[in-house]
Amino acid sequence: MHATIQKPIDEIIRHIQPNESVFVVGCNNCAWKCHSGGEEETKMMAKRLSDRGIDVVGYTVPGPQGMSLCKLSNTRKVLHEDYANEVERADSFLVLGCGQGVHTVIDATDDGMVHPGCDTIFGGETVSDTDIEEFCSLCGECIIEFTGGLCPMTLCAKQLLNGPCGGAENGHCEVDADRPCGWILIYERLKKLNRTSLLDPFQPPKNNAKWGRPRSLRVSPTEATFYANGTHITVSNQE
Amino acid sequence: MKLTTLFDKGAFVITGEVGPIKGAIHRDKSIEPGCAIEALSLQQHVHAVNVTDNQSAVMRLGSLAASVRLTAAGIEPVYQLTCRDRNRLALQSDLLTAYSLGIDNVLLLTGDHIHLGDHKEAKPVFDLDSVHLIKMAKGLSEGFDITGNSIENNIDMAFGAVVNPNFDPLDLQLMKMKKKIDAGADFFQTQAVYDLGCFDQFIEKTHSFNCPVQVGMVVLKSPEMGRFMNKNVSGIHVPEHWIKEIGSVDKKDRKKKAAEMAGRFLKQVKPMVQGVHIMPLGWTDIVPDILDYAGISR
Repeated sequence: MHATIQKPIDEIIRHIQPNESVFVVGCNNCAWKCHSGGEEETKMMAKRLSDRGIDVVGYTVPGPQGMSLCKLSNTRKVLHEDYANEVERADSFLVLGCGQGVHTVIDATDDGMVHPGCDTIFGGETVSDTDIEEFCSLCGECIIEFTGGLCPMTLCAKQLLNGPCGGAENGHCEVDADRPCGWILIYERLKKLNRTSLLDPFQPPKNNAKWGRPRSLRVSPTEATFYANGTHITVSNQE
Repeated sequence: MKLTTLFDKGAFVITGEVGPIKGAIHRDKSIEPGCAIEALSLQQHVHAVNVTDNQSAVMRLGSLAASVRLTAAGIEPVYQLTCRDRNRLALQSDLLTAYSLGIDNVLLLTGDHIHLGDHKEAKPVFDLDSVHLIKMAKGLSEGFDITGNSIENNIDMAFGAVVNPNFDPLDLQLMKMKKKIDAGADFFQTQAVYDLGCFDQFIEKTHSFNCPVQVGMVVLKSPEMGRFMNKNVSGIHVPEHWIKEIGSVDKKDRKKKAAEMAGRFLKQVKPMVQGVHIMPLGWTDIVPDILDYAGISR
Protein backbone atom coordinates (compact mmCIF):
# COMPACT_ATOMS: atom_id res chain seq x y z
CA MET A 1 0.00 0.00 0.00
CA HIS A 2 1.03 3.59 -0.52
CA ALA A 3 1.25 5.50 2.72
CA THR A 4 0.02 9.08 2.57
CA ILE A 5 -0.38 11.97 4.98
CA GLN A 6 -2.56 15.01 4.46
CA LYS A 7 -0.93 18.29 3.57
CA PRO A 8 -1.66 21.13 6.02
CA ILE A 9 -4.96 22.79 5.21
CA ASP A 10 -3.32 26.22 4.78
CA GLU A 11 -1.01 24.78 2.13
CA ILE A 12 -3.94 23.18 0.30
CA ILE A 13 -5.98 26.38 0.33
CA ARG A 14 -3.06 28.53 -0.83
CA HIS A 15 -3.18 26.88 -4.26
CA ILE A 16 -6.93 27.25 -4.83
CA GLN A 17 -7.76 30.39 -6.84
CA PRO A 18 -10.55 32.80 -5.83
CA ASN A 19 -13.86 31.63 -7.32
CA GLU A 20 -12.42 28.18 -8.14
CA SER A 21 -14.99 25.38 -7.73
CA VAL A 22 -13.48 22.27 -6.26
CA PHE A 23 -14.54 18.62 -6.26
CA VAL A 24 -12.90 16.47 -3.56
CA VAL A 25 -11.88 12.88 -4.39
CA GLY A 26 -10.65 10.36 -1.80
CA CYS A 27 -9.39 6.79 -2.01
CA ASN A 28 -11.13 3.90 -0.33
CA ASN A 29 -8.06 1.72 -0.06
CA CYS A 30 -4.64 3.04 1.00
CA ALA A 31 -5.70 6.58 1.95
CA TRP A 32 -8.63 5.11 3.88
CA LYS A 33 -6.17 2.99 5.90
CA CYS A 34 -4.02 6.06 6.52
CA HIS A 35 -6.99 8.23 7.55
CA SER A 36 -5.79 10.70 4.95
CA GLY A 37 -8.54 10.24 2.35
CA GLY A 38 -11.17 7.65 3.30
CA GLU A 39 -14.88 8.40 3.40
CA GLU A 40 -14.74 10.26 6.72
CA GLU A 41 -11.73 12.35 5.82
CA THR A 42 -13.03 13.21 2.36
CA LYS A 43 -16.35 14.39 3.74
CA MET A 44 -14.50 16.32 6.44
CA MET A 45 -12.19 17.93 3.88
CA ALA A 46 -15.20 19.14 1.89
CA LYS A 47 -16.51 20.75 5.09
CA ARG A 48 -13.13 22.22 6.05
CA LEU A 49 -12.84 23.83 2.63
CA SER A 50 -16.44 25.12 2.71
CA ASP A 51 -15.88 26.56 6.18
CA ARG A 52 -12.99 28.54 4.70
CA GLY A 53 -15.17 29.99 1.96
CA ILE A 54 -14.21 27.65 -0.87
CA ASP A 55 -16.90 26.55 -3.31
CA VAL A 56 -17.01 22.76 -2.98
CA VAL A 57 -19.25 21.30 -5.69
CA GLY A 58 -19.13 17.74 -4.40
CA TYR A 59 -17.03 14.94 -3.04
CA THR A 60 -16.72 11.18 -3.40
CA VAL A 61 -14.61 8.20 -2.53
CA PRO A 62 -15.02 6.06 -5.63
CA GLY A 63 -16.10 2.48 -5.00
CA PRO A 64 -16.61 0.31 -1.91
CA GLN A 65 -14.12 -0.02 0.93
CA GLY A 66 -10.99 -1.70 -0.42
CA MET A 67 -11.35 -0.17 -3.89
CA SER A 68 -8.29 1.81 -4.92
CA LEU A 69 -8.61 5.25 -6.46
CA CYS A 70 -5.82 4.23 -8.83
CA LYS A 71 -8.05 1.65 -10.55
CA LEU A 72 -8.81 3.93 -13.48
CA SER A 73 -11.83 2.08 -14.88
CA ASN A 74 -13.72 2.39 -11.58
CA THR A 75 -12.73 6.00 -10.89
CA ARG A 76 -13.65 7.04 -14.43
CA LYS A 77 -17.04 5.32 -14.16
CA VAL A 78 -17.86 6.93 -10.81
CA LEU A 79 -16.79 10.44 -11.83
CA HIS A 80 -18.37 10.27 -15.31
CA GLU A 81 -21.61 8.55 -14.40
CA ASP A 82 -22.46 8.95 -10.71
CA TYR A 83 -21.08 12.49 -10.30
CA ALA A 84 -21.37 13.78 -13.87
CA ASN A 85 -23.12 17.05 -12.89
CA GLU A 86 -20.74 17.93 -10.07
CA VAL A 87 -17.69 17.03 -12.12
CA GLU A 88 -19.00 19.20 -14.94
CA ARG A 89 -19.19 22.20 -12.60
CA ALA A 90 -15.78 21.60 -11.04
CA ASP A 91 -12.82 23.76 -12.04
CA SER A 92 -10.45 21.44 -10.22
CA PHE A 93 -10.15 18.24 -8.19
CA LEU A 94 -8.56 18.02 -4.77
CA VAL A 95 -7.26 14.47 -4.46
CA LEU A 96 -6.86 12.82 -1.07
CA GLY A 97 -4.75 9.88 -2.16
CA CYS A 98 -1.27 9.04 -3.36
CA GLY A 99 0.48 10.46 -6.40
CA GLN A 100 -0.78 7.55 -8.50
CA GLY A 101 -4.31 8.45 -7.47
CA VAL A 102 -3.77 12.07 -8.46
CA HIS A 103 -2.77 10.93 -11.93
CA THR A 104 -5.74 8.55 -12.08
CA VAL A 105 -8.00 11.57 -11.54
CA ILE A 106 -6.23 13.42 -14.39
CA ASP A 107 -6.96 10.41 -16.64
CA ALA A 108 -10.50 9.93 -15.35
CA THR A 109 -11.42 13.59 -15.92
CA ASP A 110 -9.77 13.88 -19.33
CA ASP A 111 -6.95 16.14 -18.18
CA GLY A 112 -8.78 17.95 -15.39
CA MET A 113 -6.93 20.38 -13.09
CA VAL A 114 -5.78 18.63 -9.91
CA HIS A 115 -4.52 19.62 -6.48
CA PRO A 116 -2.67 17.03 -4.38
CA GLY A 117 -4.17 17.00 -0.89
CA CYS A 118 -1.62 14.54 0.45
CA ASP A 119 2.07 13.82 0.49
CA THR A 120 2.88 10.27 -0.62
CA ILE A 121 5.54 9.04 1.77
CA PHE A 122 6.31 5.35 1.16
CA GLY A 123 5.01 1.93 0.23
CA GLY A 124 4.33 -0.09 3.37
CA GLU A 125 2.81 -3.01 5.20
CA THR A 126 -0.39 -2.35 7.17
CA VAL A 127 0.86 -3.92 10.37
CA SER A 128 -2.23 -2.89 12.33
CA ASP A 129 -5.02 -0.32 12.15
CA THR A 130 -2.62 2.26 13.54
CA ASP A 131 0.79 1.19 12.22
CA ILE A 132 2.16 1.21 8.70
CA GLU A 133 5.77 0.18 8.27
CA GLU A 134 8.10 0.31 5.27
CA PHE A 135 9.81 -2.95 4.28
CA CYS A 136 10.41 -2.46 0.55
CA SER A 137 11.97 0.38 -1.45
CA LEU A 138 10.65 -0.79 -4.85
CA CYS A 139 14.22 -0.96 -6.23
CA GLY A 140 13.45 -3.49 -8.96
CA GLU A 141 16.21 -5.92 -7.94
CA CYS A 142 15.33 -7.97 -4.89
CA ILE A 143 18.18 -9.44 -2.80
CA ILE A 144 16.20 -10.50 0.25
CA GLU A 145 16.85 -14.17 -0.56
CA PHE A 146 20.20 -13.50 1.13
CA THR A 147 18.88 -11.55 4.07
CA GLY A 148 16.08 -13.67 5.46
CA GLY A 149 13.42 -11.63 3.68
CA LEU A 150 14.44 -8.36 5.37
CA CYS A 151 15.48 -5.66 2.90
CA PRO A 152 18.73 -3.78 3.66
CA MET A 153 17.87 -1.22 0.98
CA THR A 154 14.97 -0.26 3.23
CA LEU A 155 15.93 -1.20 6.78
CA CYS A 156 19.50 0.18 6.61
CA ALA A 157 19.64 3.99 6.58
CA LYS A 158 22.65 3.83 4.26
CA GLN A 159 21.20 1.11 2.02
CA LEU A 160 24.31 -1.01 2.52
CA LEU A 161 24.28 -4.38 0.78
CA ASN A 162 27.30 -6.15 2.27
CA GLY A 163 26.82 -5.71 6.00
CA PRO A 164 26.52 -2.96 8.59
CA CYS A 165 28.53 0.23 8.96
CA GLY A 166 30.25 0.63 12.31
CA GLY A 167 27.79 3.13 13.69
CA ALA A 168 25.19 0.99 15.47
CA GLU A 169 24.99 1.51 19.24
CA ASN A 170 23.25 -1.01 21.49
CA GLY A 171 21.60 -2.49 18.42
CA HIS A 172 20.28 0.88 17.26
CA CYS A 173 20.96 2.88 14.11
CA GLU A 174 23.36 5.86 14.23
CA VAL A 175 20.73 7.96 12.47
CA ASP A 176 17.89 7.37 14.94
CA ALA A 177 18.41 5.85 18.37
CA ASP A 178 14.76 4.74 18.38
CA ARG A 179 15.28 2.54 15.31
CA PRO A 180 16.99 -0.83 15.30
CA CYS A 181 20.01 -1.31 13.02
CA GLY A 182 18.61 -3.05 9.94
CA TRP A 183 21.68 -5.25 9.61
CA ILE A 184 21.44 -6.43 13.20
CA LEU A 185 17.77 -7.32 12.56
CA ILE A 186 18.86 -9.32 9.50
CA TYR A 187 21.67 -11.04 11.40
CA GLU A 188 19.51 -11.94 14.41
CA ARG A 189 16.82 -13.36 12.15
CA LEU A 190 19.28 -15.48 10.15
CA LYS A 191 20.88 -16.64 13.38
CA LYS A 192 17.49 -17.89 14.60
CA LEU A 193 17.03 -19.66 11.26
CA ASN A 194 20.58 -21.04 11.49
CA ARG A 195 21.35 -19.49 8.09
CA THR A 196 23.94 -16.76 8.80
CA SER A 197 26.13 -18.20 6.03
CA LEU A 198 23.70 -16.58 3.57
CA LEU A 199 25.46 -13.32 4.40
CA ASP A 200 28.88 -14.49 3.23
CA PRO A 201 28.65 -13.94 -0.54
CA PHE A 202 29.61 -10.57 -1.99
CA GLN A 203 26.54 -8.65 -3.07
CA PRO A 204 27.26 -6.59 -6.19
CA PRO A 205 26.16 -2.96 -6.48
CA LYS A 206 22.57 -2.30 -7.47
CA ASN A 207 21.68 -1.86 -11.13
CA ASN A 208 20.30 1.64 -10.86
CA ALA A 209 19.14 1.48 -14.48
CA LYS A 210 16.14 -0.37 -13.04
CA TRP A 211 15.20 2.84 -11.19
CA GLY A 212 15.12 4.81 -14.45
CA ARG A 213 12.00 6.94 -14.15
CA PRO A 214 9.27 6.74 -15.24
CA ARG A 215 8.67 3.01 -15.04
CA SER A 216 5.83 0.96 -16.50
CA LEU A 217 4.66 -2.62 -16.64
CA ARG A 218 2.80 -4.34 -19.49
CA VAL A 219 1.22 -7.58 -18.36
CA SER A 220 -0.58 -10.55 -19.88
CA PRO A 221 -1.64 -13.80 -18.21
CA THR A 222 1.63 -15.41 -19.35
CA GLU A 223 4.30 -12.73 -19.36
CA ALA A 224 5.19 -9.29 -18.14
CA THR A 225 7.47 -6.60 -19.54
CA PHE A 226 8.98 -4.08 -17.17
CA TYR A 227 10.11 -0.81 -18.69
CA ALA A 228 12.43 1.46 -16.81
CA ASN A 229 13.57 4.57 -18.64
CA GLY A 230 16.17 3.27 -21.06
CA THR A 231 15.85 -0.43 -20.27
CA HIS A 232 13.22 -3.17 -20.44
CA ILE A 233 12.93 -6.74 -19.18
CA THR A 234 10.38 -9.39 -20.18
CA VAL A 235 9.66 -12.36 -17.93
CA SER A 236 7.40 -15.37 -18.39
CA ASN A 237 5.39 -17.03 -15.63
CA GLN A 238 5.01 -20.24 -17.66
CA GLU A 239 8.48 -21.87 -17.56
CA MET B 1 54.97 6.31 -0.02
CA LYS B 2 52.39 3.56 0.22
CA LEU B 3 51.78 2.50 3.82
CA THR B 4 51.83 -1.10 2.62
CA THR B 5 55.56 -0.68 2.04
CA LEU B 6 55.99 0.06 5.75
CA PHE B 7 53.72 -2.79 6.86
CA ASP B 8 55.67 -5.15 4.58
CA LYS B 9 58.91 -4.05 6.27
CA GLY B 10 57.40 -4.82 9.66
CA ALA B 11 57.30 -1.20 10.77
CA PHE B 12 54.83 -0.17 13.47
CA VAL B 13 52.82 2.25 11.36
CA ILE B 14 51.73 5.48 13.05
CA THR B 15 49.11 7.73 11.53
CA GLY B 16 47.41 10.87 12.77
CA GLU B 17 44.32 12.62 11.54
CA VAL B 18 43.22 16.12 10.59
CA GLY B 19 39.93 17.54 9.36
CA PRO B 20 39.92 19.99 6.44
CA ILE B 21 38.87 23.53 7.27
CA LYS B 22 35.34 24.83 6.81
CA GLY B 23 36.30 27.09 3.96
CA ALA B 24 38.72 27.45 1.08
CA ILE B 25 42.52 27.43 1.13
CA HIS B 26 43.92 30.95 0.89
CA ARG B 27 45.30 31.95 -2.52
CA ASP B 28 48.30 33.41 -0.70
CA LYS B 29 50.44 30.30 -0.50
CA SER B 30 52.25 31.54 2.58
CA ILE B 31 49.02 31.13 4.56
CA GLU B 32 48.59 27.47 5.50
CA PRO B 33 45.07 26.21 6.33
CA GLY B 34 44.57 25.09 9.94
CA CYS B 35 44.52 21.41 8.95
CA ALA B 36 47.95 21.73 7.32
CA ILE B 37 49.36 23.52 10.40
CA GLU B 38 48.03 20.70 12.57
CA ALA B 39 49.48 18.10 10.22
CA LEU B 40 52.86 19.89 10.22
CA SER B 41 52.98 19.60 14.00
CA LEU B 42 52.40 15.85 13.70
CA GLN B 43 54.82 15.34 10.85
CA GLN B 44 57.88 14.37 12.88
CA HIS B 45 56.03 11.76 14.88
CA VAL B 46 53.85 9.90 12.39
CA HIS B 47 54.27 8.15 9.08
CA ALA B 48 51.16 9.63 7.54
CA VAL B 49 48.17 11.81 8.33
CA ASN B 50 44.58 10.93 7.49
CA VAL B 51 42.57 13.70 5.89
CA THR B 52 38.87 13.27 6.58
CA ASP B 53 36.13 13.57 3.95
CA ASN B 54 33.35 15.91 5.12
CA GLN B 55 33.64 14.20 8.49
CA SER B 56 30.46 13.80 10.52
CA ALA B 57 28.70 14.83 7.31
CA VAL B 58 29.69 18.46 7.91
CA MET B 59 30.52 20.25 4.64
CA ARG B 60 34.17 21.32 4.47
CA LEU B 61 37.12 21.80 2.15
CA GLY B 62 37.55 18.71 -0.01
CA SER B 63 39.66 15.94 1.39
CA LEU B 64 41.60 15.71 -1.86
CA ALA B 65 42.56 19.40 -1.94
CA ALA B 66 43.71 19.22 1.68
CA SER B 67 45.59 15.96 0.99
CA VAL B 68 47.40 17.53 -1.95
CA ARG B 69 48.31 20.52 0.24
CA LEU B 70 49.84 18.12 2.77
CA THR B 71 51.80 16.38 0.03
CA ALA B 72 53.19 19.77 -1.04
CA ALA B 73 54.32 20.34 2.56
CA GLY B 74 56.14 17.00 2.59
CA ILE B 75 53.55 15.19 4.69
CA GLU B 76 52.23 11.79 3.60
CA PRO B 77 48.43 12.00 3.49
CA VAL B 78 45.89 9.20 3.78
CA TYR B 79 43.10 10.55 1.59
CA GLN B 80 39.72 9.53 2.99
CA LEU B 81 36.95 8.84 0.51
CA THR B 82 33.35 8.06 1.47
CA CYS B 83 30.33 6.70 -0.40
CA ARG B 84 27.97 9.26 1.10
CA ASP B 85 28.37 12.13 -1.34
CA ARG B 86 29.37 10.54 -4.64
CA ASN B 87 28.04 7.94 -7.06
CA ARG B 88 30.29 5.35 -8.72
CA LEU B 89 31.31 7.69 -11.54
CA ALA B 90 32.45 10.39 -9.14
CA LEU B 91 34.21 7.93 -6.81
CA GLN B 92 36.23 6.40 -9.63
CA SER B 93 37.00 9.75 -11.15
CA ASP B 94 38.19 11.04 -7.75
CA LEU B 95 40.41 7.97 -7.29
CA LEU B 96 42.00 8.55 -10.70
CA THR B 97 42.40 12.23 -9.86
CA ALA B 98 43.93 11.47 -6.46
CA TYR B 99 46.49 9.13 -7.96
CA SER B 100 47.23 11.64 -10.74
CA LEU B 101 47.89 14.30 -8.10
CA GLY B 102 50.39 12.12 -6.27
CA ILE B 103 48.28 10.50 -3.54
CA ASP B 104 49.59 7.07 -2.49
CA ASN B 105 47.20 6.10 0.30
CA VAL B 106 43.43 6.15 0.40
CA LEU B 107 41.04 5.13 3.17
CA LEU B 108 37.78 3.85 1.70
CA LEU B 109 34.71 4.20 3.91
CA THR B 110 30.93 4.27 3.94
CA GLY B 111 30.76 7.69 5.63
CA ASP B 112 28.63 9.06 8.45
CA HIS B 113 25.00 9.54 7.52
CA ILE B 114 23.93 12.99 6.32
CA HIS B 115 21.48 13.15 9.20
CA LEU B 116 24.42 13.58 11.61
CA GLY B 117 25.80 16.63 9.83
CA ASP B 118 25.01 20.22 8.92
CA HIS B 119 23.19 19.57 5.63
CA LYS B 120 20.40 17.31 6.86
CA GLU B 121 18.19 17.92 3.82
CA ALA B 122 20.82 16.77 1.31
CA LYS B 123 20.29 13.57 -0.67
CA PRO B 124 22.43 10.74 0.72
CA VAL B 125 24.07 8.97 -2.24
CA PHE B 126 25.32 5.56 -1.04
CA ASP B 127 25.25 4.29 -4.64
CA LEU B 128 27.96 1.87 -3.47
CA ASP B 129 28.88 0.51 -0.05
CA SER B 130 32.43 0.39 1.29
CA VAL B 131 32.96 -3.19 0.06
CA HIS B 132 31.95 -2.17 -3.46
CA LEU B 133 34.21 0.89 -3.20
CA ILE B 134 37.24 -1.18 -2.23
CA LYS B 135 36.59 -3.72 -5.00
CA MET B 136 36.15 -0.91 -7.52
CA ALA B 137 39.42 0.77 -6.41
CA LYS B 138 41.18 -2.57 -6.73
CA GLY B 139 39.79 -2.83 -10.26
CA LEU B 140 41.27 0.57 -11.13
CA SER B 141 44.63 -0.71 -9.90
CA GLU B 142 44.25 -3.72 -12.19
CA GLY B 143 43.35 -1.68 -15.25
CA PHE B 144 39.58 -1.64 -15.46
CA ASP B 145 36.65 0.38 -14.18
CA ILE B 146 33.60 -1.02 -12.39
CA THR B 147 31.84 -1.79 -15.67
CA GLY B 148 34.88 -3.69 -16.97
CA ASN B 149 36.08 -0.99 -19.36
CA SER B 150 39.86 -0.71 -19.67
CA ILE B 151 41.55 2.37 -18.30
CA GLU B 152 44.83 4.02 -19.27
CA ASN B 153 47.54 4.03 -16.59
CA ASN B 154 46.33 2.00 -13.62
CA ILE B 155 46.34 3.58 -10.20
CA ASP B 156 48.81 2.25 -7.64
CA MET B 157 47.74 3.14 -4.12
CA ALA B 158 47.45 1.42 -0.75
CA PHE B 159 43.80 0.77 0.07
CA GLY B 160 42.85 1.23 3.72
CA ALA B 161 39.55 0.22 5.27
CA VAL B 162 37.89 0.62 8.65
CA VAL B 163 36.38 -1.77 11.16
CA ASN B 164 34.71 -1.27 14.53
CA PRO B 165 35.93 -3.72 17.23
CA ASN B 166 33.27 -2.33 19.61
CA PHE B 167 30.44 -3.53 17.37
CA ASP B 168 27.92 -5.89 18.89
CA PRO B 169 27.43 -8.51 17.46
CA LEU B 170 31.12 -8.62 16.55
CA ASP B 171 30.70 -11.57 14.16
CA LEU B 172 28.53 -9.44 11.90
CA GLN B 173 31.23 -6.76 11.76
CA LEU B 174 33.85 -9.42 11.04
CA MET B 175 31.75 -10.81 8.19
CA LYS B 176 32.05 -7.41 6.56
CA MET B 177 35.74 -7.11 7.40
CA LYS B 178 36.38 -10.39 5.56
CA LYS B 179 34.47 -9.09 2.55
CA LYS B 180 36.64 -5.95 2.58
CA ILE B 181 39.80 -8.07 2.59
CA ASP B 182 38.48 -10.22 -0.26
CA ALA B 183 37.63 -7.02 -2.15
CA GLY B 184 41.21 -5.76 -1.85
CA ALA B 185 41.71 -3.93 1.45
CA ASP B 186 45.44 -3.72 2.27
CA PHE B 187 45.16 -2.56 5.88
CA PHE B 188 42.62 -1.57 8.51
CA GLN B 189 42.25 1.34 10.88
CA THR B 190 39.85 0.62 13.73
CA GLN B 191 37.23 2.78 15.35
CA ALA B 192 38.49 4.33 18.60
CA VAL B 193 38.96 1.65 21.24
CA TYR B 194 39.18 2.05 25.04
CA ASP B 195 38.28 -1.43 26.25
CA LEU B 196 41.24 -3.79 26.32
CA GLY B 197 39.15 -6.94 26.78
CA CYS B 198 36.93 -6.09 23.85
CA PHE B 199 39.94 -5.34 21.64
CA ASP B 200 41.70 -8.51 22.69
CA GLN B 201 38.68 -10.53 21.60
CA PHE B 202 38.62 -8.68 18.27
CA ILE B 203 42.29 -9.40 17.63
CA GLU B 204 41.89 -13.04 18.55
CA LYS B 205 39.09 -13.42 16.01
CA THR B 206 40.86 -11.50 13.22
CA HIS B 207 44.40 -12.77 13.68
CA SER B 208 43.93 -15.39 10.98
CA PHE B 209 42.76 -12.75 8.48
CA ASN B 210 46.43 -11.87 8.05
CA CYS B 211 45.82 -8.21 7.26
CA PRO B 212 47.57 -5.34 9.09
CA VAL B 213 45.50 -3.55 11.73
CA GLN B 214 46.12 -0.11 13.21
CA VAL B 215 44.36 0.39 16.52
CA GLY B 216 42.29 3.58 16.56
CA MET B 217 42.68 5.98 19.47
CA VAL B 218 40.79 9.18 20.15
CA VAL B 219 42.57 11.20 22.85
CA LEU B 220 40.23 11.54 25.82
CA LYS B 221 40.55 15.16 26.95
CA SER B 222 37.98 15.39 29.76
CA PRO B 223 35.26 13.43 31.55
CA GLU B 224 32.69 15.59 29.73
CA MET B 225 34.11 14.49 26.39
CA GLY B 226 33.87 10.83 27.45
CA ARG B 227 30.24 11.22 28.46
CA PHE B 228 29.50 13.19 25.29
CA MET B 229 30.98 10.48 23.09
CA ASN B 230 29.07 7.77 24.91
CA LYS B 231 25.86 9.65 24.35
CA ASN B 232 26.40 11.09 20.89
CA VAL B 233 29.14 9.28 18.97
CA SER B 234 27.92 6.00 17.56
CA GLY B 235 30.22 3.02 17.72
CA ILE B 236 32.45 4.37 20.52
CA HIS B 237 32.24 3.41 24.17
CA VAL B 238 34.40 5.04 26.82
CA PRO B 239 34.43 2.92 30.01
CA GLU B 240 33.70 4.65 33.32
CA HIS B 241 37.25 4.09 34.64
CA TRP B 242 38.67 6.18 31.78
CA ILE B 243 36.19 8.98 32.55
CA LYS B 244 37.04 8.86 36.26
CA GLU B 245 40.79 8.89 35.68
CA ILE B 246 40.83 11.88 33.32
CA GLY B 247 38.53 13.67 35.76
CA SER B 248 40.85 12.95 38.69
CA VAL B 249 43.25 15.77 37.80
CA ASP B 250 42.81 19.54 37.49
CA LYS B 251 42.03 20.95 34.05
CA LYS B 252 45.56 22.34 33.71
CA ASP B 253 47.01 18.86 34.11
CA ARG B 254 44.62 17.12 31.72
CA LYS B 255 46.94 17.11 28.70
CA LYS B 256 49.64 15.35 30.66
CA LYS B 257 47.12 12.87 32.05
CA ALA B 258 45.53 12.27 28.63
CA ALA B 259 48.94 11.46 27.16
CA GLU B 260 49.73 9.11 30.03
CA MET B 261 46.39 7.26 29.73
CA ALA B 262 46.53 6.95 25.95
CA GLY B 263 50.19 5.91 26.11
CA ARG B 264 49.54 3.28 28.76
CA PHE B 265 46.71 1.80 26.71
CA LEU B 266 48.78 1.85 23.54
CA LYS B 267 51.63 0.06 25.31
CA GLN B 268 49.20 -2.73 26.23
CA VAL B 269 47.72 -3.15 22.75
CA LYS B 270 50.95 -2.62 20.83
CA PRO B 271 51.90 -6.30 20.68
CA MET B 272 48.50 -7.13 19.19
CA VAL B 273 48.60 -4.72 16.23
CA GLN B 274 50.74 -3.52 13.35
CA GLY B 275 50.23 0.17 13.98
CA VAL B 276 48.24 2.93 15.63
CA HIS B 277 45.92 5.58 14.27
CA ILE B 278 45.83 8.51 16.68
CA MET B 279 43.05 11.09 16.49
CA PRO B 280 44.32 13.89 18.78
CA LEU B 281 41.40 16.29 18.06
CA GLY B 282 43.58 19.37 18.24
CA TRP B 283 45.93 18.15 21.00
CA THR B 284 48.60 17.30 18.46
CA ASP B 285 51.32 18.44 20.88
CA ILE B 286 50.76 15.41 23.13
CA VAL B 287 51.21 12.83 20.36
CA PRO B 288 54.99 12.54 21.01
CA ASP B 289 54.28 11.95 24.73
CA ILE B 290 51.71 9.24 23.94
CA LEU B 291 54.24 7.46 21.76
CA ASP B 292 56.97 7.91 24.42
CA TYR B 293 54.76 6.38 27.11
CA ALA B 294 54.10 3.43 24.81
CA GLY B 295 57.77 3.08 23.94
CA ILE B 296 57.18 3.68 20.25
CA SER B 297 59.19 5.82 17.88
CA ARG B 298 58.76 6.40 14.19
